[in-house]
Amino acid sequence: MLEILYFGRLSDRAARRAESLALPEGVTNLSALKNWLDLAHDLGGALQDKSIKTMVNQSLVYEDIALQGDEEIGFLPPVGGG
Amino acid sequence: MIEVTDIAFNPGERLNGFSKDCEDAGAIASFIGLVRSQKGSVDKLRLESYPGVTEQGIEQAVAQAKNRWPLTAVLVIHRIGTMGVGEPIVLVATASKHRRSAFQSCDFLMDYLKTDAVFWKHQSGPDGDMGGGEWIEPRAQDYADKNRWSDP
Repeated sequence: MLEILYFGRLSDRAARRAESLALPEGVTNLSALKNWLDLAHDLGGALQDKSIKTMVNQSLVYEDIALQGDEEIGFLPPVGGG
Repeated sequence: MIEVTDIAFNPGERLNGFSKDCEDAGAIASFIGLVRSQKGSVDKLRLESYPGVTEQGIEQAVAQAKNRWPLTAVLVIHRIGTMGVGEPIVLVATASKHRRSAFQSCDFLMDYLKTDAVFWKHQSGPDGDMGGGEWIEPRAQDYADKNRWSDP
């Protein structure tokens, strides 16, 4: 199963912090998954926004990559603590 | 030592403990960040982390600080969860033989924590955060502060 994590303002937008799902039919890579999630949760392109970073298995990913269906995928809006 | 915790901590006690373990240092610099009341409009601050990723990022920043300055010890405690006005969010303490390294590395680590550490901050007013409040992202000044440490 894919483990999808939504952080910060994205968790409000998606109305969830996390979800588990099987790789949807016809989805084989990260960009297709983002589009699928966008439609499924009516995100209005939020995942495609340039400010959003994507982590696959806790590593930053800057390019489109193929998915196996068992990855942890995190969507990260701009960070900052302190 | 790095600690990301959802439990309130007492900065004074933690700093005392840290200084007892730093007998070889001649100087300790520390910074405590508190939840600020913004003219009464902020009642609660909620911080979220990405467990594992957040700690790893802070460890890398501490390693960079140790590379850059001759530090004998570093302490970073960072809260997650919900905090009220006046509550400590963060404690950074750096120990070195001399004061300049301690001051500078503490400042460096705080700039990292403000702009690059993997946290998300949500503030809300007296009505709570039921559908209200806002997510806070770093200001331009925070990024400018961090860029002071870039190599020319």
